[in-house]
Amino acid sequence: MAGIDVLIVDDSSVMRKIVERALRQADLDLDTVYEAGNGVEGLDLLSTKRVHLVLSDINMPSMDGLEFLRQMRSRNLAPGVPVVMITTESSEEHVKQAIQDGAQGYIRKPFTPEQVKERVLPLVTRS
Amino acid sequence: MAAVSLRGSIEKVADPVHLDASVEEVFAMMLGGTASRDAGPVSTAPESVTAVVGFGGVLSGACILRGNSVAARLLAGRLTGQEFAEVDDTVQDGFGELCNMLAGSWKSKVPELSAHCGLSVPAVISGRDYNLHVQAPAFDLRHIYDFEGEHFEVRIICDNVQ
Repeated sequence: MAGIDVLIVDDSSVMRKIVERALRQADLDLDTVYEAGNGVEGLDLLSTKRVHLVLSDINMPSMDGLEFLRQMRSRNLAPGVPVVMITTESSEEHVKQAIQDGAQGYIRKPFTPEQVKERVLPLVTRS
Repeated sequence: MAAVSLRGSIEKVADPVHLDASVEEVFAMMLGGTASRDAGPVSTAPESVTAVVGFGGVLSGACILRGNSVAARLLAGRLTGQEFAEVDDTVQDGFGELCNMLAGSWKSKVPELSAHCGLSVPAVISGRDYNLHVQAPAFDLRHIYDFEGEHFEVRIICDNVQ
């Protein structure tokens, strides 16, 4: 598979780097990794860049991850591109809400690289 | 939806076992190490770093992570795989994220809490000679841990439960 372009949306620059590291440890061949500090920045990036995978935190200032997901889908930005939420919010309701809003996967923080691989690899291979 | 109340299960929520389990989980998964309970003092160094993540909903309160600058640099370093000579923005960011994961892990231990309690984004305070005062909490869990010879404190303060 050719390298994939990824968008990571998280208000923590440290967490963006940790997610990128976990993706590389999951043997994903990453080409370009775009970073956004909140949902607004994420939407701006998706309006100009093509990506193969989006990973987003939920709890962020300015625009949270669920609103980012809703607007991304309603504005038809990156159609068909899988979105995985990565968050400390782990309740069944949060998972259901994210899936209902168009997420394909959900990873709870803290996570291991193996968990990232399990959740992300099938989505990327399928798409 | 029926209203959820934690008043009858405050002892379950305040069980110290949950806090130790959360620290163990976060450190094993994100820092690749073990933090053990310790009775020692957190720090005599004047500079300290404190991260706070608030709880809202069926429980209001906060998760607080505090350590001296050496401990903060060590924890952020293990989290990011970098080394830090000073408490810079990355150290503060990493310390806040660590607190965020501890708060999320702690509340996930009690299902009623997990589903009906939200988290704030982390706030991080660093500096010298400051005190954190909380007035008459419903409960206050305060554990000190040792990680690679450095001490840090994790505290769960509950103002109120519904």
